[in-house]
Amino acid sequence: MPELPQKKVGIIACSGEELPEGTIARLAALQVLEQLRPGDTVTICLPLFLAGGEGDRAFAKFYPTIAIDGCEKRCAFRGTETYSNRPAAGIVVTEVIAQEGLEPPAGRRRLNEAGKQAAARTAERIAARVDELLGRAWSRREGKFAGEPSSDEVTTCACGSGIPVQKLQVNGHEVSLLALPLLFQNMHEQKKPVSAETGHELMEMVKIYNAVDASAAAEIEAAVLAAYARYCAGQEAKA
Amino acid sequence: MTPPRKVMVIPCSGIGKSFGTVSRVAAYQVVEEDRPGQTQLVPLALLVTGDEESRRLVAENPAVAIDGCKLACASKMITQSGGQVAREFAVLDVFRRYREFKPEGIAELNAGGEQLAAALAREMDAVVDELTGEEGGSHA
Repeated sequence: MPELPQKKVGIIACSGEELPEGTIARLAALQVLEQLRPGDTVTICLPLFLAGGEGDRAFAKFYPTIAIDGCEKRCAFRGTETYSNRPAAGIVVTEVIAQEGLEPPAGRRRLNEAGKQAAARTAERIAARVDELLGRAWSRREGKFAGEPSSDEVTTCACGSGIPVQKLQVNGHEVSLLALPLLFQNMHEQKKPVSAETGHELMEMVKIYNAVDASAAAEIEAAVLAAYARYCAGQEAKA
Repeated sequence: MTPPRKVMVIPCSGIGKSFGTVSRVAAYQVVEEDRPGQTQLVPLALLVTGDEESRRLVAENPAVAIDGCKLACASKMITQSGGQVAREFAVLDVFRRYREFKPEGIAELNAGGEQLAAALAREMDAVVDELTGEEGGSHA
């Protein structure tokens, strides 16, 4: 069975441009994405949940997500929960500052020393949460940790790009399948031929990322295999 | 006499590219230093969560969007919030006009990025003056 895309944690930062804490949230997220956990984290702009497409809105279902908010309005957490999926964790900069006993930050455009210190402490907390989340099993189909019955039990403490979606025609209806382009890419890289066996294999992976109606599974599998054949033909034409 | 309207400035919130940072630095330049009395910053996050006051500000005042990429979140969110985009700035287009200012860095811009942001801010100043009916602004 081909390997699934590597598990990563999504980081969504508050865009609170009107507060120093918003700047701290963005800088802390950047520190994690670029320096502390570059291979384990991805990000998406919060507004893309509304301004983007279906793949963008699937982000927090595909990845366990940490919302980094500048203030108690918690726009990143609430926006992600409303338009994508409940974040697996949330960190609020004002709470970090209070808990760490740091000086008040200042400077939206250029942070003062207290602000830089707050960004560093926030980044450390994010990195710790990333490590925790990577140690647990996330169900991309359910959009929650495996074995957790309800989102109410998800721990919260106090902000790239989206997942590709492909639409197929199945019995005259349009069906959107999350992550299908990635699966095609993965199978093609492994030189999987267009065959019934590959169709079964693809379908098992499609079921990991999508809720598939059992009564339509056979038709969807046929449509997926046909789309894979077109994908392979397209790749060969490019070569 | 009706009080003069303020121009709402809505920058990109992206942290994936330098252009997002350029949009914010330019916005801060205009709102904090160049035209503080005539402009107000509205964070995209508040529009995403449907904050009533932010939606009202955008709906009742001219809004200037600064988009960091072609996805144009700032422009789209103004429209989705019931406002009209009085002027849209795409940082990439501004860069095409000032190719000598190549931005690098996200957490902190290089000199080229700061210069590009300053150039963008100057263009925005002119638009703010136009929208508020002022010649050269009342800031001097």
